[in-house]
Amino acid sequence: MRRTRLALVTLALPALAFPLAGRATAQGSIVVVTGEHAAAPVPTVGEGTTANADVADQLFLRLAVPSPGRAAAGDRGFTPQLARSWSRRDSVTLVFDLDRRARWHDGVPVTSRDVVFTFGRALDPALAPVHAGLLAQVASVQAEGAHRVVFRFKRPYADQLFDATYFVSPIPAHLLDTLRPADLQRSAFVRAPVGNGPFRWVRSVPGEFIELAAVRNHFLGRPGVSRLVFRTATDADARINLMLSGEGDALIGAIPPLANRDRLLATGEIRLVTTPSNSIGYLLFNQRAPGDSTRPHPILGDVRVRRAIVAALDREAMVRSVFGPYAEVPYGPASGMLWISALAPDPAPRDLAAARRLLADAGWRDADGDGILDRDGRPLALSINVPATSAARRQMAVQAQEQLRQAGIRLEVLVLERPVWQERHVGGNFDIGFGSATQDATPAGLTQSWSCAGGSNVAHYCNPIVDSLMRRAQLSFGDVSPLWREVLDRVEADAPAAFLFAPVTVVAVHRRFERSAVLAGAPWLMLHSWRVRRGAELPRDRAAR
Amino acid sequence: MERPSLVRAMLATPSARAGALAITAIVLFGLLAPLALPDPAAQPDIVGGALQPPSAAAPFGTDELSRDVLARVAVGARVSLAVAAVAVLLSATLGMLVGIVAGYAGGATDAVLMRIVDAGLAVPRLFVLLLLLAAWERMPLPALVVIIGVTGWLGTSRLVRAEVLQLRAEAYVSAAHALGAGPGRVMFRHLLPNTLGPLLVAATLAVGDVILLEAGLSFLGLGVRPPTPSWGGMIYDGRAVLTSAPWVSLFPGLAIVATVLAVNLLAGGLRAALSPREA
Amino acid sequence: MARWLAGRLLQALITAALAVVLMFFLVRAAPGDPLARLSEDRQLSPEAAAVLRARYGLDQPAGRQFRSFATGLVRGDLGTSIEYGRPVTELLRERLPGSVLLGGTVLLLTFGLGSWLGALQAVRRGAMDRLASAVALTLYATPSFWLALVLAWLVGIEWRLLPAAGMRDPLLPADAGALERLADLLRHLVLPSVTLAAVNLAATMRYQRAAMLEVLQQPWIATARARGLGDGAVHWRHAFRNALFPVVTLFGLWLPLLVAGSVFVEKIFAWPGLGALAADAVGSRDYPVLMGASLLVTALVVLGSLLADVAYAVLDPRVRRP
Repeated sequence: MRRTRLALVTLALPALAFPLAGRATAQGSIVVVTGEHAAAPVPTVGEGTTANADVADQLFLRLAVPSPGRAAAGDRGFTPQLARSWSRRDSVTLVFDLDRRARWHDGVPVTSRDVVFTFGRALDPALAPVHAGLLAQVASVQAEGAHRVVFRFKRPYADQLFDATYFVSPIPAHLLDTLRPADLQRSAFVRAPVGNGPFRWVRSVPGEFIELAAVRNHFLGRPGVSRLVFRTATDADARINLMLSGEGDALIGAIPPLANRDRLLATGEIRLVTTPSNSIGYLLFNQRAPGDSTRPHPILGDVRVRRAIVAALDREAMVRSVFGPYAEVPYGPASGMLWISALAPDPAPRDLAAARRLLADAGWRDADGDGILDRDGRPLALSINVPATSAARRQMAVQAQEQLRQAGIRLEVLVLERPVWQERHVGGNFDIGFGSATQDATPAGLTQSWSCAGGSNVAHYCNPIVDSLMRRAQLSFGDVSPLWREVLDRVEADAPAAFLFAPVTVVAVHRRFERSAVLAGAPWLMLHSWRVRRGAELPRDRAAR
Repeated sequence: MERPSLVRAMLATPSARAGALAITAIVLFGLLAPLALPDPAAQPDIVGGALQPPSAAAPFGTDELSRDVLARVAVGARVSLAVAAVAVLLSATLGMLVGIVAGYAGGATDAVLMRIVDAGLAVPRLFVLLLLLAAWERMPLPALVVIIGVTGWLGTSRLVRAEVLQLRAEAYVSAAHALGAGPGRVMFRHLLPNTLGPLLVAATLAVGDVILLEAGLSFLGLGVRPPTPSWGGMIYDGRAVLTSAPWVSLFPGLAIVATVLAVNLLAGGLRAALSPREA
Repeated sequence: MARWLAGRLLQALITAALAVVLMFFLVRAAPGDPLARLSEDRQLSPEAAAVLRARYGLDQPAGRQFRSFATGLVRGDLGTSIEYGRPVTELLRERLPGSVLLGGTVLLLTFGLGSWLGALQAVRRGAMDRLASAVALTLYATPSFWLALVLAWLVGIEWRLLPAAGMRDPLLPADAGALERLADLLRHLVLPSVTLAAVNLAATMRYQRAAMLEVLQQPWIATARARGLGDGAVHWRHAFRNALFPVVTLFGLWLPLLVAGSVFVEKIFAWPGLGALAADAVGSRDYPVLMGASLLVTALVVLGSLLADVAYAVLDPRVRRP
């Protein structure tokens, strides 16, 4: 199973380029069904939420994009977009040369001024707090002439090119630099953005859909369809229904529930495309007492208990039951999109006997014969906080409850409303938190959650050896595979969490599209290459101008 | 209005007898059937045994965790019926009291009571419940049932009040006053029986509502916790597989419908027995 | 009557004000972090969270937050949504038409059809009455999301007769005529309004039937019959009017449906209404949107109560207070 994950990536490969040649007139429409209406699809404005980024990706080009099918690592694995080329002056300086053909949708050329203006916003923590945090290592962005931009970083590290290109796309300075920076959010520009990407803005009907149209004379080539619609349905069933009724063309995250696979395939109109995902789910063990981070957790502070819980869970069965073939049990905190996941061995299968042994070592026995282990008169009872919004996680929590009962552990499932779950999670107010994370495309982001001083390390996991390994791996420009492998091994041994599922992204796509590439991490970045197979047009494809 | 045996009078109608019989059957099913059925929490095979259609081994099929749906419907009856009975009685009683007092007293009393009801209706119940959750982490079922009851009477009180407003003007109320009847006697001897129409309708309709409400509350961290089943919770959980495995939510849904219909028959009998004018 | 109405209006205003104040502090006292939604995709750093808290005034004490809310309210400014980053008044204006259209259709169907059917049941008792009761109660006991999913599946997916979701077809040509647009809107309206009407119909039917049965036993009905009035006149001109009290009350109680709608049905049919917007605002603790939506709901709650009281006085003049 582990190998197939890598094979999936290559599906996306042949469709890298814009479909420049081949057809005299591009026609057809793509209706992408989404869960959230993009209210501010403008880089540096929308706080980088997925919905805003998905639409912004159609309107605004990045300097470069990660190449489909290749792991973004160091300076390798990127394809030029707004930047024609880039070079490295020294270990802290990257130089980008912009493509001179690039134009804003109003016809004005894209210049280095736009890039400098945009990063000026993105690096300002008062204007774009989320981006400023992500770009904390960028020291300055300066223009050299009209088409050259120089990025300086605070220190040498491997992922500079990724940081410079992935999070922010330039926005037009000539339209925006007269506005007060804080007014951009409420400006007319956000309601009708002018970009430089393969699609231009047509209209937004709030709560319903956003319509974009192809830029016919785009310098990277004409998009494969003439019209692109992002249709909003906040409910998961509504999204599936739109696909099943033939009103939608593309949908991400249709699975779980697994039952949707057969429903979608049964239409005969839809196929499922998979690509690695950057999300990962785990049962996070709080190593400090709930709500009191000064004391160790009375039960979970013991690594033997944590390992016992991991061993007592049948993670393989849980993943198959909820995700079918569309997820793996991860080894350490590595989602499928991180290249280090390829270094990982298969995780250990369920071993109830080992779990009981570990618990006995830690002093837990069933003295009162009620089936639940105890120590010093206290039962081995824990609770797990589960966000109510996720049916898959609710289901897995109840599975874990039953499996841990067989090992003599009582698990209370606390289903909590999402904001309450979040508040308790961040506040360290839980025994076991059913968390999930959307990881950065490079392993450097792991320090956030799994290093002693990590900003998202809510469970207070701390292993100085792991910290130093991760630091060395980030600073080195050489082969860092052995370092990352050791990180994974040590984290597995410390069992700060039961790493439960690393899903693949499943995208439902209407069969009439060809070259329908889906990019891991930014699934809709390649929509411009999709086109309708000749002869497979639906009436609505012809109606589109 | 002195009825020596309310129960006998009530059961005089065939429909009420059928309703009482059906409710008894559902209660017995919830109490006794689990003894002969598999453990409702057991998950025999979460990969191969999930979402199996009804068969001899599992007459109602299995759910997404391979649990026996029949066993869960049977055990779920305990929570759902308890919620229905207690919460509905509580909210109907409170709604009736407030409605009668407001409608009969009128004036400032009416204004204050009804504006409290208005304000209560304007503030979503959800936030009151969330505050309770913050204050009382592991709320036991009885407390939950009481809370559902005491937050559910607002609409009923308005319906009862409207009825009383109309009745107050009737000749027999003035006659009762003239004969020296005190306000308590007028309200509960003369007005109450005549407000039973809307009150019983409200109570009947509330039965289905509160069973589903209980399930909605488990999504707030209130309500019963897994693995304890309840009908409403099963319906919510079966939502994802509604079309591919309808039995997961259909059977608990039918159980709710059966309960509501049985209560309706019983309510018809109660009304016939208590209403002074109905033949 | 005028003085009574003025007093009653004043009461309504005070109630609404109190409810809004209560709501304001209640939502802030409830557990949950308004920034949770923004950290769903990526955990916010403490620094970023602090900036955002300051931007939305969440770092201020509740009393000060209330003052700025109240001064904004006077100027007609409800603040900026934390989740959408847009003015709340704009969001409400965008969603109001959808809500009123769906809610209005449902109220019309439930009260028009429901009270007629309920009255019909009362005057023609027997097998049909029992069957209608059973059907209506079964529908009422059916969760609305269940019926919505079944209808969307049958009509929208299996038969493809009507759209499965949404309020309008995004691919409708830009040059489509008004008639075409109206037809498109109506096609989208059918499933959500039928779902809600079917589920709620039982309530109006039951109340109307019960009230009608009550009225039909009144002595004056017999008197009217003795005067030689026909069944039709007795039933529909006299009894029906006197049996409207519960239905009028129910209408007052349900008036907020115009803006609050049904969350489940709006969501399953991806209907762009306020109910779903408000529910999402609850789920993300988007305080400004939440307060905006609850202002509208509060207004309709007190208006519904007021309209019901006026209707009693009109229907039965004896009810009117001195």
